[in-house]
Amino acid sequence: MADYIAGGVPERLVPRTTEARNAGEAKVLAGRRRGPSVAFWGMAMIVASEVTLFGTFIGTYYYLRFNTPHWPPVGTPEPRVVVPLVMVGILATTSLPMQLAARAARRGGLWAARLFLLWALVIQCGYLVYEIHDYVDQLRRSVPQDNAYSSIYYTLLGADHAHVAIGILLVVWLLWKLARGLTMYRLNAVQVVAFYWHAVNLLTLVVIGVLLSATL
Amino acid sequence: MLLLLTLAGCGGSQNTLNPHSHPAADIANLFWVMMAVSFGGLALITGLLVFAWVRRGRRGFGADPDDPHPGERPSWFVVVGMGVVFPLMVVIALFVVGNGVIISSTQAPAASSTAMTVDAIGHQWYWAFRYPGTKAVTAGELHIPVRTRVNLVATTADVIHSFWVPELNRKVDTIPGRQNRILLYANTPGVFRGQCAEYCGLQHAHMGMLVIVQSKAQFRTWLAKQSAPAAAPTTALARHGEQIFLDGPCASCHAIRGTSARGFVGPDLTHLASRTTLAGLTIPNRADYLARWIVDSQHFKPGNQMPDFNLSQRQVHALVAYLEGLK
Amino acid sequence: MWQSRPGVLGWVMTTDHKRIGLLYFWTTLVLFGAGGAEALIIRTQLIQPNQHVVGPSTYDQLFTMHGITMIFFFIIPMTTGAFGNYLLPLMLGARDMAFPRMNALSFWIFLGSGIFIYTSLFLGIAPNAGWFDYVPLANAKFDPGHAIDFYCLGIIFNGISSSLTAANFIVTILKMRAPGMSFNRMPLFCFAFLAASWGLLFALPSLTADTIFLFLDRNVGTHFFDVAKGGSTLLWQHLFWIFGHPEVYILIVPAFGIATEIIPAFTQRRVVAFPLVAVAELLVVFIGFGVWAHHMFATGMPTVTVVFFAAATAVVVIPSTIQVFAWCMTFVTGNARFKTPLLFIAGFIFMFVAGGLTGIMFLAVPFDQQVTDTYFVIAHFHYIIFGAAVFPIFGGMYFWFPKVTGKLYFELPGQISFWLIFLGTNLLFFPMHIVGLEGMPRRNYTYPSGLGWGPENLAETIGSYITTVGIVVLLANLLVSYFRGLPAGPDPWHGATLEWTIPSPPPEYNFAVIPKVSSAYANWDYADREEDRRKLAEGVMVLEQGHEQPVSSPVDGWWAEIVEMPHDSPWPILLAVAMSIVFVLLLLHLWMGFCFALAGILLVLLGWHGEEPQEREA
Repeated sequence: MADYIAGGVPERLVPRTTEARNAGEAKVLAGRRRGPSVAFWGMAMIVASEVTLFGTFIGTYYYLRFNTPHWPPVGTPEPRVVVPLVMVGILATTSLPMQLAARAARRGGLWAARLFLLWALVIQCGYLVYEIHDYVDQLRRSVPQDNAYSSIYYTLLGADHAHVAIGILLVVWLLWKLARGLTMYRLNAVQVVAFYWHAVNLLTLVVIGVLLSATL
Repeated sequence: MLLLLTLAGCGGSQNTLNPHSHPAADIANLFWVMMAVSFGGLALITGLLVFAWVRRGRRGFGADPDDPHPGERPSWFVVVGMGVVFPLMVVIALFVVGNGVIISSTQAPAASSTAMTVDAIGHQWYWAFRYPGTKAVTAGELHIPVRTRVNLVATTADVIHSFWVPELNRKVDTIPGRQNRILLYANTPGVFRGQCAEYCGLQHAHMGMLVIVQSKAQFRTWLAKQSAPAAAPTTALARHGEQIFLDGPCASCHAIRGTSARGFVGPDLTHLASRTTLAGLTIPNRADYLARWIVDSQHFKPGNQMPDFNLSQRQVHALVAYLEGLK
Repeated sequence: MWQSRPGVLGWVMTTDHKRIGLLYFWTTLVLFGAGGAEALIIRTQLIQPNQHVVGPSTYDQLFTMHGITMIFFFIIPMTTGAFGNYLLPLMLGARDMAFPRMNALSFWIFLGSGIFIYTSLFLGIAPNAGWFDYVPLANAKFDPGHAIDFYCLGIIFNGISSSLTAANFIVTILKMRAPGMSFNRMPLFCFAFLAASWGLLFALPSLTADTIFLFLDRNVGTHFFDVAKGGSTLLWQHLFWIFGHPEVYILIVPAFGIATEIIPAFTQRRVVAFPLVAVAELLVVFIGFGVWAHHMFATGMPTVTVVFFAAATAVVVIPSTIQVFAWCMTFVTGNARFKTPLLFIAGFIFMFVAGGLTGIMFLAVPFDQQVTDTYFVIAHFHYIIFGAAVFPIFGGMYFWFPKVTGKLYFELPGQISFWLIFLGTNLLFFPMHIVGLEGMPRRNYTYPSGLGWGPENLAETIGSYITTVGIVVLLANLLVSYFRGLPAGPDPWHGATLEWTIPSPPPEYNFAVIPKVSSAYANWDYADREEDRRKLAEGVMVLEQGHEQPVSSPVDGWWAEIVEMPHDSPWPILLAVAMSIVFVLLLLHLWMGFCFALAGILLVLLGWHGEEPQEREA
């Protein structure tokens, strides 16, 4: 077969995703691929859409805030500061194991990737369990039906928890997939989910920051 | 159909190009200039397309491989000149005139620059008007003195409406929790029609109003009369009507000052008989229409909030007699 | 090379962008019929003063559904779903979309949302607060019952479909181009769809958030829009128009893309000022995000705010005028053949300029505030939406009919249909300017006599009937041509882009050989096409193993990798069914069932992702 050049790259140098049957071959193929995978771009679009949705929620929060003389309104308890800050700080650390998992998978380290994912998963689950408990606890003191402040407070916080829950489901699914070895498809998945978790963590930081701004 | 009879002869038009105040005239003049320029623009583009049509098929079929971009350089001049420079100049000119000059002559007036204030309150589906400083309350028909700067404060009792009398000025929405203001001014006495302009539910179409511009003396007389409590019924039939009104369901929604009726869902009826129209300009204010309205208001204005009370012929007769006496 | 599965199952499980495009086409055509019927009833009701064809309650549902249908269920899915799906990969030299199963999912969700929202109309409880759905009129207090819940959920549901489509298009345009097609060698059509997709991706979340708030306010008892409890009714309007104005450009920019394909084909000239037009297509959407509040000039915002948004509105004029003059100069300097598609584009330019000029008038705030919410505005945006979005859709239907069916349409009935539609729409919409200036407000189910609005309304209604006849002629022409038309061959127009290099209708894999591209008008690069034929004969750049597709780098079009694409799959339709169930249960407040259905969605997703690309034997 003659070596035609398309887009500056000869056909024989272009990696085929289906040629990686194990972690070692995936490592080699990933090294020959130019730029991020299609899946990564897809996830970037989903994240862009989600960020915009959260941006709209946050914009709503401040729109309502600047239309209201007292924020939170008199009689509605202020959000607690210290514990949520500590919790979100702990959650944010999971970006590290997620990134390490993606790096390990990229280098063919299947076991390392699994362990890093497990590390992240434990912290993420702990965060979510505590936060759901806390959410229910807060609902005893005030409810979304109280006023516009409570409405946006619980909606924004709840949306963020849902976001974390989706991220956790993705990590669980990844671990299940990785139990059966590494292919290009699964390598893409690890990289993509790691990226998603960076977005989740960043958004959670911003959301908690916004919600705590009511105490300033 | 009864509906066909309605409103003919209620008076007033609501034509934006028939201004009766300086703000409305400014806007109308602006429109005429914009329209002339727009027709010029449209003619230019149409001319280019027709020109292309005239010269169609002048070369053989197919792109010329030696010259894939015939006339590209002059075309760039046209695209940049006519597509960027020229529209920018037009738009900047329009912006300066429209949003620098005319906006200030038509917008909400400074509080000190007006002679009086009127509150317009939108209801589903009629307009109520109050004259702060007096007890006067009316509905559907707003009286103002001629050549007087009136500060109109538009609010709502329920959903968003929009106060609009095109021959006097631009419109302003009534937003819950807000007080929006607009200047109302009329050069000449007359009757000007207005209508709710923001979709507000089933009977949005029947939420008209009349602005009746009177000489200053006439207006003062009218306002004094409207500020007074309702006239007591004079005939036995009317007294019976008052009894029905006050004891029955009417009083829970309507107010008649000077009586125990203090409802606020429907229009204030204190001086009902002094108005020329009923139900947001839906029907003329005549005894026969009033009677039919009381019996079956849903026929004229389906979905309005006044239910059918199953009154007897005699009761309706008495009610009309009472209401007709509320001059 | 792969083949499609035969029979109905082949369509239900398809991941082929062309089949999905056709599914979109037929579905949106049916919904266009529904929206058109609603419009005809509205026009018949308004044919003369004090008519009583329908009552106010029906009328309110009709005009609301007309707006919702034409925007969310006709134009967006017709341009992006049908035209974009079918044509984008063909123009990019790709064999499929970046995410073929997600593409199928978009369609099935779209179908589900269409059925969902039309159920409400058949039950007589359709949304009735306008497509803009302002609160407090849409609050539970003033609109009890399920009508607005149908609106909220239907819009969110439909928005998921559009967001997925937008994400899919962006990645397809950035990554799936034939190797060697750098960004500047991309057809203008693709620039337009890239712009519209970015618009959708960033505009829809605002509407989604808004409808979520409204749904919560109505069904959970929150107070986002409740002034008494610290909420704001203007919040709804801001969020709605932050979506709603970019939406206008999302509707018309794909139509610009269609125009920029038809014009070169029928003038045999590359579009004048190509880079300016490409940038203008992207800019118009970008600037479109900064002008939303010009829909709210009458709400009593501070003058500073109003003037700022008027200025932004002035800026958005420029990218449009650039494009208009570029099109016109292409007409003038090219060799125009006024066949039906080009007639529709000429009509489109006329209508777009007319609607655009009235649009410029609105940047004068006092004038805007005088005529907003009157028929003048209806005239303006129907010139834009019917004239500038639907005309190119009709032109595109004629233009690509030979490509999709392999048959030629009949030219004379085609031209007749154009003139009927062109004259009909002008008779329909032009008098609306006048009647609007004469003070006729929008959304009135009837109007009194004696205000001089009768003759204009009569003319408008006659115009609507003529337009309908024109559309029927158009569809009949295409239908008859499908059975009786002459064979078209691969390239009846000597078109400019890659879809004309392959047979009509295109095979499942689109391109037997991955095409070489060295300009945005690839079919006119004769040397490249010659090389493709030689490569096909030699069997290189064919990628014949499995379901393969090259992937390129986003800017330069370097060949990055070869990926295996998914085959037919039952999961997209199953997921769409599960999601439909979720939305129905939400509507009915069946919270337990809702949780079970969510679990069902997870199960379907697991199944979906159980299908992995098969690794090759060593």
